[in-house]
Amino acid sequence: MNNPHHMNPRSLKSRFTTRFLRALTKIRAQKPISSSSPTEIFRRYRKIKVAADKSMAYSVRSRKTWSRAMLWKLRSRSHRRRPVKTKFRQSVMKNTKTTTTTGEDGVGFGVEASELRELVPGGEAMDLCNLLDETAHYIKCLTTQVQVMKKIADFYSL
Amino acid sequence: MTSENDDMGLAMSSISMFNKSSNTSDSFFSSCWDPIVSQSGSLGGSSMASHYHLVMENQGISGTSHVSHYQSDPSFVELVSKLTGFDGGNLSQMVGPFSLPQCNQVANRRCPPNFTLNTEGGNERGSTNSLRFLDEHRISKEALVGTSPNGKIRKCAPESGSPLRSCKNGDEEPVMDLSSEGCDGPREQARKKPETEQNTGANSRGKQAVKQDKDSSQSEEAPKENYIHVRARRGQATNSHSLAERVRREKISERMRLLQELVPGCNKITGKAVMLDEIINYVQSLQQQVEFLSMKLATVNPEINLDLDRILSKDILHQRSGSAAVLGLGPGSNSPYGFSPSTFPGTISGIPNKNPQFPPLPQTVLENELLNLFQMGFSGSTMDGFGLNGIHRSKQSYIF
Repeated sequence: MNNPHHMNPRSLKSRFTTRFLRALTKIRAQKPISSSSPTEIFRRYRKIKVAADKSMAYSVRSRKTWSRAMLWKLRSRSHRRRPVKTKFRQSVMKNTKTTTTTGEDGVGFGVEASELRELVPGGEAMDLCNLLDETAHYIKCLTTQVQVMKKIADFYSL
Repeated sequence: MTSENDDMGLAMSSISMFNKSSNTSDSFFSSCWDPIVSQSGSLGGSSMASHYHLVMENQGISGTSHVSHYQSDPSFVELVSKLTGFDGGNLSQMVGPFSLPQCNQVANRRCPPNFTLNTEGGNERGSTNSLRFLDEHRISKEALVGTSPNGKIRKCAPESGSPLRSCKNGDEEPVMDLSSEGCDGPREQARKKPETEQNTGANSRGKQAVKQDKDSSQSEEAPKENYIHVRARRGQATNSHSLAERVRREKISERMRLLQELVPGCNKITGKAVMLDEIINYVQSLQQQVEFLSMKLATVNPEINLDLDRILSKDILHQRSGSAAVLGLGPGSNSPYGFSPSTFPGTISGIPNKNPQFPPLPQTVLENELLNLFQMGFSGSTMDGFGLNGIHRSKQSYIF
């Protein structure tokens, strides 16, 4: 039944899977799903989404700017005391050694680059070059996330 | 040559340390540089020797017209000899405080009058290029430290010698370019980006600025790796700004190529703006898929207990084709990305399934629940950007 080749236990996929499953069981253990009211489900959906993001960001640790930004955002959201924007920017800019460029880099990417910056967490503080790097890694992680979650969902639903 | 030898005698006599080899060799260079070779150990590596060998080779190739410029080099040797008292550290540290005009002045003092013309010519160029020479020297030293590709450097020298001959500026230019060309051998080893600016500033003088770069990778002098050392290609703008720009642009296009491989269905797309739009759409759709899936997981009933989670994790990690078989997909189905978005919108939002080869998945009960949930959730929820219309729009573009 199992595949002949062994999965790397330290790959991104396995790290994410273990973390996410742990978080899922924790969420499930909190409340039984007897009440299927939309608000309950919605709340749980939020928790699961946060758990998915968090486990993905933890699997990447601080190696990438986007993961650092995401972790910072999640932590500050849970605390909710300090002003989020300024400190977030400070920490992200401290971690990135490049300068912010708000406009074009002489290549004419203005509009799309700003859109991409909104999508990728921590993208506001990166120049285009690093932004593309981060985007590539972010896409890779997102696809892993989607694959794993899909399989979990499929197994649960059957 | 006799006067040169006399000069060499003067220089060599002042160098008390370099007694090891004889000074009566026929060629100017071997007598000059052998002591350096023997002293290479104390100077912190063979890199310096190799550098001087490099210079030597250039001289050997290009003939006696460049001889005059190496009047400064005995003075260099002298300076080096003075500095060998140091701990064999970086040549850059040694060379740093001494500027080339100084050397030239020393050389002028010693030079017999019939060489004054050439040395003066060398002097003016030397003074203007002194800083650059030192910078490149430092760069070459840093690049060569820790590497012993002597053969590599020598190989580079004759190859790159010929295109450099075409440059019309002074004779020192080939030297400087070669010294930086010596960097190119162990190009991968050097690191710093500001060096690029210095190098480009130096090298740009050797080339003519005619037009902007249109031929990106077909010119015969295209650098193999343009991270550290950037040379202006033929027929391209050569001031340092545009060179740095070009480096940036190439980096960006390289990353765009990588992204093109990541995003499915982007092989035919040329053009950065369209590519970026595709990337944005893809990232958006991935994020929405994550939200979908987390919603789905939120609604699923946990009849399964903890043990199964262990099994699940193993299965999720180890089985890829297994789940596909479970879901009734054949091995000849579309790419996994094509599969994923079509399931959700195909069942949830009621888009007619454009790919008839996907059999309906056995999740219809759940999907109906999800559908109801969405419809209820949209009335008073704080779901950000989770509209069905958005899903329609983005997913449609990815149903192949």
